[in-house]
Amino acid sequence: MTLRWIVRTFSEICVTLGTLIVLFVVYLLFWTGVRADSAMDGEIGKLHDQWAAGQVTPPDTAPEPGGSERPRRYEAGKSFAVMYIPRFGADWTKPVLESTAPDVLKRGLGHYDRTARLGEVGNFSVAGHRRTYGDPFKDFPRLRPGDAVVLSDGATWFTYRIDNRPYTTLPGDTGVIDPVPRKSGFNGPGRYLTLTTCEPEWGHSHRLIAWAHLDSTQPVAHGRPSALPG
Amino acid sequence: MYGWIWRHLPGNAWVKALISLVLVLAVVFVLFQYVFPWAEPLLPFNDVTVDEGMAAAR
Repeated sequence: MTLRWIVRTFSEICVTLGTLIVLFVVYLLFWTGVRADSAMDGEIGKLHDQWAAGQVTPPDTAPEPGGSERPRRYEAGKSFAVMYIPRFGADWTKPVLESTAPDVLKRGLGHYDRTARLGEVGNFSVAGHRRTYGDPFKDFPRLRPGDAVVLSDGATWFTYRIDNRPYTTLPGDTGVIDPVPRKSGFNGPGRYLTLTTCEPEWGHSHRLIAWAHLDSTQPVAHGRPSALPG
Repeated sequence: MYGWIWRHLPGNAWVKALISLVLVLAVVFVLFQYVFPWAEPLLPFNDVTVDEGMAAAR
């Protein structure tokens, strides 16, 4: 075991670690995006196929065995709507899936399963990645009051309008997805929407929140809403 | 380390180079398929929800 051997082995370990880190960054910045984009395109394709086949209502609508009519829920892990935010680009189109579990958020935006359904009275709340996994909410800070958030569940177009500039809060502040979020300026029940993502861009110390209210709805048969370009 | 591997690969220099390339690709595949997906939740980019449960999360 000579000094030459020690120096050489140490150098090789350093080069190996460096390569490993570079590869991991490539994985995070590039590969998760490739995987997520294809997964999200797949979800949107599946939804459009379902809607074309006429199966518009989510399948999980059987009455609860308990007898009393509980609020219907979407099926966990399944996509049920498509979201459009023109502010993020004319071609910004993402699927919305039920549940905010990490593996669900890799395939699209996640609907908090405790919150209201699309278009209902209450707060339809959705979380999405700001960075990695396709960067769906990369431009979140650019949202401004009046911006449209358009969703389709196959039967109806829902146009929500943003009411505030993105609001920064702490991760434990679950009040932001309450049926009537206190700090949003809404007073009284209504049909609201909340978007959440991480803040700062690459960190996790805070969350960024945007609130919106339902502005209009129209049947899909009547064409795309005017809030959408094209 | 790498010199040791190179010396223990069979064949002439070309065959060794080919085997090395395959080995490198295999390592990259294992990293991308298994190791990085495991390591990724240890980093903060996954926390995009508001939740009491996230206090326990990374």
